[in-house]
Amino acid sequence: MPGGALEVIELHKHFGGVRAVNGVSFALERGRIYGLIGPNGSGKTTLFNCITGVERRDSGRILLDGVRVDGLKPYQIARRGVGRTFQVIRVFPELTALENLLVVTSGPRATAEARARELLAFVKLEGLAGEYAGNLSYGQQKLVEFVRMLMRDPSLILLDEPAAGVNRTLLNDLLEAVRRLRDRGKTVLLVEHDMKVVMGLCETVFVLDYGEKIAEGPPGVIQTNERVIEAYFGR
Amino acid sequence: MKRLAVGGALGIALIALAMYPAYGTGYGNRAMLQIFMWIALAGSWNIISGLTGYVSFGHVAFFGAGAYTAGILIASRAWSWPMAAVAGGVAAGVLALGIGGPCLRLKGPYFAIAMLGLNEVLRALVSYFERLTGGGNGLSLPTLDATVPIYYAMGLTAIAVTLAARLIIGSRFGLRLMTIREDEVAAESMGIPTFRHKLLAFLLSAIGPGIAGALTARDQGYIEPLSVFPLATTITMIVMTLFGGKGTVWGPVLGAVVLFVAQEIVWARYPYIHPLLFGAIIIAVVLAMPRGVLGLLQLKYRLPRTI
Repeated sequence: MPGGALEVIELHKHFGGVRAVNGVSFALERGRIYGLIGPNGSGKTTLFNCITGVERRDSGRILLDGVRVDGLKPYQIARRGVGRTFQVIRVFPELTALENLLVVTSGPRATAEARARELLAFVKLEGLAGEYAGNLSYGQQKLVEFVRMLMRDPSLILLDEPAAGVNRTLLNDLLEAVRRLRDRGKTVLLVEHDMKVVMGLCETVFVLDYGEKIAEGPPGVIQTNERVIEAYFGR
Repeated sequence: MKRLAVGGALGIALIALAMYPAYGTGYGNRAMLQIFMWIALAGSWNIISGLTGYVSFGHVAFFGAGAYTAGILIASRAWSWPMAAVAGGVAAGVLALGIGGPCLRLKGPYFAIAMLGLNEVLRALVSYFERLTGGGNGLSLPTLDATVPIYYAMGLTAIAVTLAARLIIGSRFGLRLMTIREDEVAAESMGIPTFRHKLLAFLLSAIGPGIAGALTARDQGYIEPLSVFPLATTITMIVMTLFGGKGTVWGPVLGAVVLFVAQEIVWARYPYIHPLLFGAIIIAVVLAMPRGVLGLLQLKYRLPRTI
C-alpha cells in the first residue's frame, strides 16, 4: 500500500481548561522517520490519540495522503493504513500471542496465520505463539504489540515510547526493524524520551511544550535550540 | 481418536436425551425441559457477556419479550406454538437491535444498569397495555398438552445455542469479541469495528432467550409480568455461566446442569433455607474459582479454547 504522508493542520484538543494540544501543525513525508519529543504532559500522547481517532479533536484538520481523516472512527483510520503501539502496553492478555495477531485481519485464516507466524518469527517469538500474551515478559509483550501493529501492513506507523523498559539488545533489534520498515517506504513517527534513540534514528524531530510545537528540525540542530533546552531544564 | 471419542459420547448423550420422554416420568420430563431452558439462557448470556465482557443485567428481558410475543400471538391470533416460538425469537432479536444501538455505546457498569432498566421498563409496559397483555392479571393461553414436543423444541434450542457458541468461539469473530473484553481501545485501534461486533453478538445472544421464553409461555399456559421478567432469572443465568466458566463453550452447559440439580436437591431437602444455602454455594464458588470450573481446567491443563 503506497502512501503514508500525514499532514496535521492547526490541531486543538482541550480537556476542560488544559490545552493538551494547542494549534499544532506539521507534515510527514512518506518513507522517513520522525521523532516527537517534549517534557511530560506536553501533549505527545494526546496528539497520537487525535491522529488515530481515539480522542476527538476540538478543531483542526488531519490529512492522510491528502484525504481528511479527522472525525473518522479509530478502526476506520487503522484500516486506512495507520498502525500504532501504546505507551502502556495494550496486548490482549487472555489471548495467545498468535491470536493477538490473528484478530487483526480478516480474509482466509490460513493466509492470516502464515503472516502472523512470520511476524512472530521476525521478533523471535515463534516458540511462544501459543502462550497467553499476559504470561509473557514485558519486553516480549512489547514485541507482540509491535508485530500486531504490522499485521495490517500500515503505511504510517506511530510508536509511543518504543524504548521504554526494553533492554539494549532487544532495543537494537527493534530499532533495526524500524529502519527496515522505513526502507520499505513506511513513514514512522515515534514519541521517545530516550534522546540517544531519537538522535540515532530520526531524520526530523518535532518538539512539543505545553501543547505547542516549539521547534522542528534535524536532531543535531534541535539539541542546541534554546527554547528546547529551556523547556526541558527551565530558564 | 480423541475427537472421535468426544463425538461418540456426545452422540450417545443426544440419543439418550431424544429417547428420554418415552421412559421418563412427568417430573423427569419437566426437569429436563427446565435444564434445556437454562442451557439456552446461560449459553446465550455467555455470548454477549462472557465474550465481550459487556455484562447484561437484564437479559431476562429477551425471555419475557419472547414469552409475551408468543403468548399474545397464540391467545389472540391463534398462531401455532412452533410459529409463535419463531416469532418470539425474532421479537427478541429486533428488541436487541433497537436497544443495542444506544446501550452498547455505554461502558462497564453503565451498560449493566441500562439493561436492568430495560427489563423494568418492559415489565411496566406489559402491565400497562392491559388490553393486549392482560396487564397484572396475566395472560392465559388456550389449554394444550404439548410437554413432549416442547421438550424437543427446547432441547433443539439448547443445542442450537451451544453449537452457535462453539462456532463463534472457534472463529476469529469470537476472538475479536474477546478483544473487546480485553481492551476495547486497542481493538478499535487495530482496525476492529467493535460496535458492529458487539451488536451482532448482542443480537445472537437475544434470539435463544426469546425462543425459550416463547416455549415456556406455551408450556406453562399462563404468563404474568412478574413471572417472565424476574431479575432472579438473569442472576441465575449469570451464576450458571460463571460457575461453569465464562467464555467457554461447555461452561454454561455444565453450570446449568450442576446448579439446577443442586437447586432441586437443596430445595427438596431444606425448603425453608434453600435460598440461603444456594447463595452460600454461589459465594463459595465465585471466591474459590472466579474463572469457573472449565476456565480453571483450561488454564491448568492448557485445554483448547473451544471446550
